[in-house]
Amino acid sequence: MQDSVFSNATVSVDSLPSVASLPMQAVSPRYRWVNIALEIGLYAMLIVLVSLIRWQPWWRLPESFVWAYPYMLVCLAIMCIGFAVYHFYADPLVRFALRERDLVLQRGLIFTKQLCQPILRIQHIELKRGPIDRLAGMTRLQVFSAGGAGHTFEIPGLPDGQARKLRQFILEHKDQGAQTGQL
Amino acid sequence: MTVSSSSSPTGAEAVSVGPATSVIAQWQRLSPLAILYFTASNIRKLVSFAVFMIPAVAVGLNITRIAEAQWFWPVALCIALAMAGSGIANHLFFHFRISARHLDIREGVLQRRHINLPFWRIQSVKIEQPVYFRLTRFVVVILDTAGSSNEEAKLVAVPRDYAETLKQQILFERQQHLKGQAGETVTIDHGNGAPEICETVLNTRSIKDLVIHGVTNNRVWILLGALAPFFDEISDFLYFWLDSLGIDLEALINQGVQSWWQLWLYGMSLLLLVMTFVALLSVIGSLLTYYGYTLSKQHDRYIRRSGLLSTEEVSLKLSRLQMVAARQDWLDRLLQRANLFFEQNLTGTDPNQELMAANKLVVPSVTNSEVRQLVGDALPGNRMYDADYLPVNKRFILHQYLVWLMPLSAGMICTSIWIGLWQGLALSVAVALIASLLVQFRYRRWGVAWDNRYVYVRSGIVGIDRRCFEFFKVQQVKIHQSYWMKVRKLATVKLVLASGSVTIPYLPAGIACELADLTLYHVEKSRRSWM
Repeated sequence: MQDSVFSNATVSVDSLPSVASLPMQAVSPRYRWVNIALEIGLYAMLIVLVSLIRWQPWWRLPESFVWAYPYMLVCLAIMCIGFAVYHFYADPLVRFALRERDLVLQRGLIFTKQLCQPILRIQHIELKRGPIDRLAGMTRLQVFSAGGAGHTFEIPGLPDGQARKLRQFILEHKDQGAQTGQL
Repeated sequence: MTVSSSSSPTGAEAVSVGPATSVIAQWQRLSPLAILYFTASNIRKLVSFAVFMIPAVAVGLNITRIAEAQWFWPVALCIALAMAGSGIANHLFFHFRISARHLDIREGVLQRRHINLPFWRIQSVKIEQPVYFRLTRFVVVILDTAGSSNEEAKLVAVPRDYAETLKQQILFERQQHLKGQAGETVTIDHGNGAPEICETVLNTRSIKDLVIHGVTNNRVWILLGALAPFFDEISDFLYFWLDSLGIDLEALINQGVQSWWQLWLYGMSLLLLVMTFVALLSVIGSLLTYYGYTLSKQHDRYIRRSGLLSTEEVSLKLSRLQMVAARQDWLDRLLQRANLFFEQNLTGTDPNQELMAANKLVVPSVTNSEVRQLVGDALPGNRMYDADYLPVNKRFILHQYLVWLMPLSAGMICTSIWIGLWQGLALSVAVALIASLLVQFRYRRWGVAWDNRYVYVRSGIVGIDRRCFEFFKVQQVKIHQSYWMKVRKLATVKLVLASGSVTIPYLPAGIACELADLTLYHVEKSRRSWM
């Protein structure tokens, strides 16, 4: 913007590397099964909770609750199956690619989303592991840019070693050095 | 160089700028006038907190009759005294020192806070003069660092000369630092060390412009929001006031007494009266905020100064400019005006501040030719008004119809028929027709264009919003596609900038990928900092 000499060279779009035709890499196969197990576990808990309320001997329930109980069970079971099926098909579609200068993430079954995060614009990186992630040996890689918290770039379900390597690669990247220097 | 530690912000001595020194300066206190500022800001905090409590307190007072208790007024008095005393405590616990290109602040009574700000990390320096400092030469200096609101530092009640020197010093240090980073030779010779001040006024706003701004940009809803808890009291007051004037509202509304055209006339008169009142309030708001508006350029920095009661100064370094947006709603379009926004980094700022447009450097209600001139100065060589905008795909309209317009209209129409409310049915049909027309307008406004340096996005419904930014400012690129969009080879592109994201919906997939690739190319090839 402050350049004293204004340049406006033509760029041949055909010669640019395209994000549309990238060989992508899948995340850990455990990611799908962990998500399915979590969904089943969550809905099983809800079913148990509703059943405990229904069959407890201490107080009298409203008639409407007793009437709705079987329908609630059916609804919860359908939702459980629905989400499990969704994860079965959608999770293998979470794929990423590491290029020389950016990270690319693709996800979504019905609504697909492709995110490209230039390494030059990365502010900081976090590796996140919840207790279930730790059990499954998986890590979430979170990459933050100045775009704000709503645009955090996250690759879920990475095998631990791979996540650490990715983090190291980004930290040692020359673009990161360039950015730190400028800041 | 550094602002000498011997300089006094209390105004007793002039500010001197001396050579760099490693000697740690003495901790200093602010001028006693700062007590005013601290007290005012504590009261403001309490009031903003208490606004949410008003309904609870009102109900509590009614139910418990607490106000009649003997201890109530002494306690209320103690609270008031504590508020006044808190300003003194804040002043006593506030210490600062400026040494070796650093500003250190120790503040806080219960929660102590130590801030160390190297000058080169300070992003912007604002100088404000609250209304109670108007008759003095004291100002408030607000120093802002890289985005985090927690790292904002304030020097309260310092003399204007001191503030100006400190500001120049900070900007100079920052410039030196950046040049050092870039490996450039510093060629500026400042003689006594003070940076040169060379300011050009780019734009000023007259009273007429501000009145137009007030009329076209209604901010009264903010005021109405604040008054919401008192609506009942206000309506009661109005009722009794009209009654005392001999106007009987009940008789006026009674259709048995009045004919329909009289009622209609009353209604229209009342509407006009309310609208005039609202416009008047809005104009007053505009004058309070933007009175004496000047937009100046100092080296590579834009400075906005305005305000009737408290003068506010917002400064923006051009390299921090993320995007320029010229927003024109239908009334602006009619009057051939636009609001020009120079948008900077929003990360870490309080979203509520958006209303005050504190991080946005705004030029209110400028004419189209002035917009072109200002945008040309900030982003040289841009074609925001002359580019051939590529329209979005017509399926955008279908999407809008299917996703919200048709379900909503169908719901409203079915409900009206179900309950047999025929006026409701007519209203639902009319709303649906108007909404579908607006969707058509929105489709026609959407457009994107780019050249080798800038991206231009046009949007709006009746008015037009034009946004322009440099490719290399983009932080992240997103491409969204639903299953049906994929079948039709369409995609939505979202370009995320530090000032917010820009979405271009329903582009042909090839064009969307081309825009994404080109953006990544510019960001990654140029390797320029976005700040």
